[in-house]
Amino acid sequence: MQFLEALPRFVFFTGKGGVGKTSIACATAIDLAARGRRVLLVSTDPASNVGQVFGVEIGNRITPIPAVPNLSALEIDPQAAAQAYRDRIVGPVRGLLPDSVVKGVEEQLSGACTTEIAAFDEFTGLLVDSSLTHDYQHIVFDTAPTGHTIRLLQLPGAWSGFLEAGKGDASCLGPLAGLEKQRSQYKAAVDALADGARTRLVLVARAQQATLREVARTHDELAAIGIDRQFLVINGLLPAGEAEDGAAQDPLAAAIFAREQAALAAMPAGLASLPTDRIALKPFNLVGLDALRQLFAPADVCPTDDVAPVSPPAAPDIAGLVDGIAADGHGLVMLMGKGGVGKTTLAAAVAVELARRGLPVHLTTSDPAAHLAETLEGSLDQLTVSRIDPAAETERYRQHVLDTQGAKLDAQGRALLEEDLRSPCTEEIAVFQAFSRIIREAGRKFVVMDTAPTGHTLLLLDATGAYHREIMRQMGSGIAHFTTPMMQLQDPQRTKVLIVTLAETTPVLEAANLQADLRRAGIEPWAWVINNSVAAAGPRSTLLRRRARNELAEIENVAARHAARYALVPLLRHEPVGVERLCQMVRRTQANQGA
Amino acid sequence: MKTLQIFDPALCCSTGVCGVDVDQALVQFSADVDWARQQGASVERFNLAQEPLAFAGNPVVKGFLERSGAEALPLVLLDGEVALAGRYPARAEIARWLGLADVAPDAPKPCCSGSKCC
Repeated sequence: MQFLEALPRFVFFTGKGGVGKTSIACATAIDLAARGRRVLLVSTDPASNVGQVFGVEIGNRITPIPAVPNLSALEIDPQAAAQAYRDRIVGPVRGLLPDSVVKGVEEQLSGACTTEIAAFDEFTGLLVDSSLTHDYQHIVFDTAPTGHTIRLLQLPGAWSGFLEAGKGDASCLGPLAGLEKQRSQYKAAVDALADGARTRLVLVARAQQATLREVARTHDELAAIGIDRQFLVINGLLPAGEAEDGAAQDPLAAAIFAREQAALAAMPAGLASLPTDRIALKPFNLVGLDALRQLFAPADVCPTDDVAPVSPPAAPDIAGLVDGIAADGHGLVMLMGKGGVGKTTLAAAVAVELARRGLPVHLTTSDPAAHLAETLEGSLDQLTVSRIDPAAETERYRQHVLDTQGAKLDAQGRALLEEDLRSPCTEEIAVFQAFSRIIREAGRKFVVMDTAPTGHTLLLLDATGAYHREIMRQMGSGIAHFTTPMMQLQDPQRTKVLIVTLAETTPVLEAANLQADLRRAGIEPWAWVINNSVAAAGPRSTLLRRRARNELAEIENVAARHAARYALVPLLRHEPVGVERLCQMVRRTQANQGA
Repeated sequence: MKTLQIFDPALCCSTGVCGVDVDQALVQFSADVDWARQQGASVERFNLAQEPLAFAGNPVVKGFLERSGAEALPLVLLDGEVALAGRYPARAEIARWLGLADVAPDAPKPCCSGSKCC
């Protein structure tokens, strides 16, 4: 493993949920400790099983791990950190200010930004010299702050008189008002992060095009702020042997192997030049010390034991969901989920199935890869396809704000405004604004979208009435009866939100968080879709069978605990491009048949 | 010198860029506050989302919130007394209250779009 060589004191692993950051961080810590280094492992994984792995209760304090000499660990729960942080600000005024006011403030502090800043606050202390950490030669983090957070902390304008004086009007950094530490400490933490001699950042990805694109974006963003000595780990690769041996028996394994190799061959330019390690998909679960010790071992060294065939679970398919959607004759269908779970493909599948049933459909997508929309355009009578370019929409919004509102600001104020405009919320709002023009069509036909705003955004927009006013303005005054977008989204007759996830622990947990967030906004997701299921595809290769078996518990979890109704979509041998293959995706029995 | 205190609604950004439409009045007001401070004026701003305790601890502001709700913010106090509510003051008003020479009388009037952004 190249990323383990000449390792500086701090190591951060970053990548989207479910790629294996926590497992790799654990294995790294174990490896270092075995070489006699004193190591502290810091996990912020909400699904953290670090305690389970080491057989010790850990929690939010540094705990020595008896089973691994030289190793201690600490778990930070970002949600709990954010809650503690909200309590710090809101707690003292509860009961003093009207409830509605207190609730409004809490919502302001319930966004993703607050969670991230609160988590950063928690581990700031570990990045600066202190009695807490001076014992450790390495501190290994299974997460990293985003570029947006780091940039904000670097802006002098954001800090002017802020923490020192306890007042001021800094911007998105508002959340920092509740932080307890001194500015100098944050500055030291950010400096440590950007110092290649002290810190190594390791990007973790799977060999999938969408994931690699996202990782490339993270790489560019962090490189731009000086964190440029990055390493890349491609995790969970299907070994060549598995595909070769299995090709005759398991065309699915062969197809996955080919797809992964193609994704690696087409690696985005920024990533291709990074020192890269590849970790093969393991024939065992990454639970327990022995398993983690073997994570970095070559694939053929690992013992393989045979896995009994997994019969595909008897789960509903998308056709069943479309029956329920079609019954209303028109309405808005929004697919929601983390990046890379297949929202766009599923939106296309739902739209194509509705159109095939003779219903009028407008499919609108924000997928950066336009080929899907292009292949569908004009293919079915009832289907219209449009595309929104998130980058272009966000840029237009940014430019509009800077030209109008930013024009009179001084240099510091403008820098702050520009950073505010780079927050993830800005993109979400810009894209949703573009979509909302199309949403109005949902009164007479079906509108299928591959994205949805978070509950947090909706609540903020709605609470302040800004969105309401905007719509009033668009509709013209004098209309007595109308529905606000919020009301439309809350009405299951008009809007159906489908939550898309994968049958893996972290993605399911993330999807459950999205659902909880929507519920806060009074929106009840109509159904869940579990995409790319290996279990549903009936694999024959041993490795894939093991993955299939692991999926069963998560599928059961979604069916029993999370979803009002759900559908299971198998991992397909071929990219579902074009009407024919999308239709195959809709009906389980037809999937993976034919060449 | 008199003290001007502004109690903002819960803004996640004082520039309000996270709203559906950025409030020009808010951005202009932020610039006006900077201007007044450069003239040596004492101007304090409190964001409901960041310092709710400042709201709860001031009887005038607390009473205002109980009567009119957070929707009626911003509230502007001059030496502790209500000077204005429901909109941000123009630069000319700030100058008059604080006895500053208004060197830039061209500040646009705040529009009616309210004060809240996000």
